[in-house]
Amino acid sequence: MSHKSKLNRWGIGLLLYVSAVLVGLGSAFWVLKSAPWMNNSVTVGAWKSNMRAGSQTADLYTRASIALNALLALGRDETMYFVATHDDQGHNLKSACQYLVQGVPPKARWWSITAYGDDLYLFDAPNRHYSLNGSTAKLDSAGQFHLVTGPQAPDSSHGFWLPTPGKSGLVLTLRLYNPDAALQTSPTSLQPPTIQVLGACP
Amino acid sequence: MTAITQKKRLWFYRLLTLAVTAVLVHLAAVWALPRAIMWVLMNGPMAVNLNMRNQAAFPPPVTAQSRSVVMPSPDLLYSVCVFDVSRGPVRVMANPALPSYWSVALYAANSDNFFVVNDRQAGNKSVDLLLVSGQTHTSSTAASPGSRVIVTPSDTGFLLMRVLTSDYDAEKAIVEPARHTLTCTPI
Repeated sequence: MSHKSKLNRWGIGLLLYVSAVLVGLGSAFWVLKSAPWMNNSVTVGAWKSNMRAGSQTADLYTRASIALNALLALGRDETMYFVATHDDQGHNLKSACQYLVQGVPPKARWWSITAYGDDLYLFDAPNRHYSLNGSTAKLDSAGQFHLVTGPQAPDSSHGFWLPTPGKSGLVLTLRLYNPDAALQTSPTSLQPPTIQVLGACP
Repeated sequence: MTAITQKKRLWFYRLLTLAVTAVLVHLAAVWALPRAIMWVLMNGPMAVNLNMRNQAAFPPPVTAQSRSVVMPSPDLLYSVCVFDVSRGPVRVMANPALPSYWSVALYAANSDNFFVVNDRQAGNKSVDLLLVSGQTHTSSTAASPGSRVIVTPSDTGFLLMRVLTSDYDAEKAIVEPARHTLTCTPI
């Protein structure tokens, strides 16, 4: 075998190894970020919750997914986390659009809904409204709370405004602290807050 | 004919090696990711700035500029400590004495939440924990009688105390002293 031919074979081998490493890393990232079927999640309305978040029984993938997307989560007997990245029609949430979120207070000792960008950090809200919670929510005559997300303040009839400036995805997180035992046992019994787009959404 | 067969065999082994390597790298990455993220949390810039190894630290309230941990809760005030029981037990004490929710949670180096106690479970008593390594468990429990002994699954880990505050500016005078009751002391 010639020297050139040997170099070719080594070059191809090296290229294949590098490709294999990239495929391995890329597939791991894709699974942890984008593959909901790997995440032991339940879906209620537009909201998803991972039932093994914070648990020592979490499998390899759940542990890694939680570390990447919700580091330092607690188990569901302590706190339940429901995350929405789509509205009720199944469209991706966008910070540039306005959404009306409404529902009845969940059955838990305390709850909150927080808006995050797609980097999973808080928006730079000019009014420092990062969340609506069980203490700040005002209920209407039907016992429902209302909030509006979007870059611009809504008219006053819609109530609480969670600012979402800039152009990014939008992730809403519903936290339930010390949820009722029935909800822990059956997370799908949650009455999920609805998420409706207001006006045009480009 | 023989040359073609050898070439095919070579490519078969190459593709097999590629597939096996990709699967192994995939599994290794998924296994290592939570440990790597926790390592950065416990040894990265925030940990260095707050000097939180075996002593309590008190990060500022969460804002849009908070970038240490994804999805920070703006309704909670945090107290933290990186515990290291490799050289002996660490005693954790806290007495927030608040009517609202608070909790003390412990996380292993692989990110598992292996212990949590909240205000209701603590009753009106303070939290008093003795964190010990599995290797020193039997010899160290006498060091702090009255403490609840917690055997940690890893020698290093992260302690996160959460104190609920739905309106920090209004409640600052109450919740700040409450979260500063956390101590994290090697024995």
